[in-house]
Amino acid sequence: MREKKVVIEVGDGAAIPDPDDKGLFTAWRISFFGTIAIIVYLLVTKPDPYLDIIKFLPDGIVVTFKVTFASIGLALILGLIAGLGRISKNRWFNLAASTYIEVVRGIPLLVQLFYIYFALGHLIRVPDMVAAIIAMGFCYGAYMGEVFRAGINSIDDGQTEASLSLGFNRSQTMRYVILPQAWRTILPPVGNEFIALLKDTSLVSILAVSDILRRGREFASESFLYFETYTMVALIYLLITLVLSKLLSNMENRLSHYERR
Amino acid sequence: MNVVNPIITIRNVVKSFGAFLALDDVSLTVEPGQKVVVIGPSGSGKSTLLRTINQLEEISSGSIVVDGQEVSDPKNDINRIREEVGMVFQSFNLFRHKTVLENLTLAPIKLKKEPVKEAEKRAMELLDKVGMVDKATSFPVQLSVGQQQRVAIARALAMTPKIMLFDEPTSALDPEMIGEVLEVMVTLAREGMTMVVVTHEMGFAREVGDKVVFMDEGKIIEIASPDQFFDHPENDRTRKFLEQIL
Repeated sequence: MREKKVVIEVGDGAAIPDPDDKGLFTAWRISFFGTIAIIVYLLVTKPDPYLDIIKFLPDGIVVTFKVTFASIGLALILGLIAGLGRISKNRWFNLAASTYIEVVRGIPLLVQLFYIYFALGHLIRVPDMVAAIIAMGFCYGAYMGEVFRAGINSIDDGQTEASLSLGFNRSQTMRYVILPQAWRTILPPVGNEFIALLKDTSLVSILAVSDILRRGREFASESFLYFETYTMVALIYLLITLVLSKLLSNMENRLSHYERR
Repeated sequence: MNVVNPIITIRNVVKSFGAFLALDDVSLTVEPGQKVVVIGPSGSGKSTLLRTINQLEEISSGSIVVDGQEVSDPKNDINRIREEVGMVFQSFNLFRHKTVLENLTLAPIKLKKEPVKEAEKRAMELLDKVGMVDKATSFPVQLSVGQQQRVAIARALAMTPKIMLFDEPTSALDPEMIGEVLEVMVTLAREGMTMVVVTHEMGFAREVGDKVVFMDEGKIIEIASPDQFFDHPENDRTRKFLEQIL
């Protein structure tokens, strides 16, 4: 039986390296080792100010990762619910999920961040970081919803029929048969969204959350070394996304073990 | 003549897809242990008929009673009825993320709460029966299509069903693999399983069938014993169909 190859492309994550690319010069290698070379070069040739800058940033990296992981967790939960809603035969569940996705996709992320931060701030006092996580998770949940829907739809109807014919009900079929298989199709775009989200967390720097960019801005405004600071900030972001994209590509490879002969 | 209560009773079933009548007032009974072979040209509604028995297709009107339970009645738990009715598909539909053994044990463990060890032991016995013991730890994609179909039969049997439905089980197989699958089906028939088989394998129909059902354009045209059916078909359309394929 021929396998159907499904590729879902969403968003502006990062180019996930192709594991089959065995050449010496790949885009990933050039970017990764290039970035490291530049960072090392700058630190060695101009330790002042680059060493000070890079010492100032790690707190921000921790915050960026905290916001990213918490947001992606929330987004995955919301995304699964939204995705199941979009394929649900229950009219109201379906409508609610579709409306959520429609509304979120129609508002710029930055505006949503402001809105949730300030509107929420009117109603309840939540820490800045929590507001940022809710806003990011809420927004990316909508994107994830579409990814989940596409992933679930990519599984052949025959799998569902075989499961039903054994006596599994719809939700057991989803849990034991469809989702474990859909996960493989979903992982690349989810990884992509993860990287896109990590980059978009730089937006939370305007909400007084001390992420990488915020720390960089603080350093720059005190030292007036704007060019040097933002160079280092950009290189750090690039390094993180390159490492993540490589990890994801390895994970993807491992997950497809039952496809290989 | 002694009266045996049928295990499947299909009465005046109509199934429409929009304006198209896939099943047009179909009635059929299957007695316990009987092997019913359904044949007919493609698009005649034979697969649809089979799929209504376990409600993979909902019927538009009529009644289907399986083992004393009306399948279209929402008060009856269709999932429990389906546990009693195994199904084998044209395209096998093995769970691609599970090994052969896991394909067989998933439903018994999750649905019947069988202990893992016991389910695996029984699964190995079934794999032995279909000659697939040595592939227990393989994934479906590593098997030939004939092997996949044999595993699919074993998977359905793992739920110890009372009835087995076969939806063109050999149509997607390479010719040299048809024999191995039919062999498993013949063994199953000898053991007394109640079987409803949609197929184009006329040799199988003649050898194994107790009753041959010929369908065309959503209607049952003729029901007869295999000898009667193949040697003295009563209906013109049956005769024409047999001329074309034999």
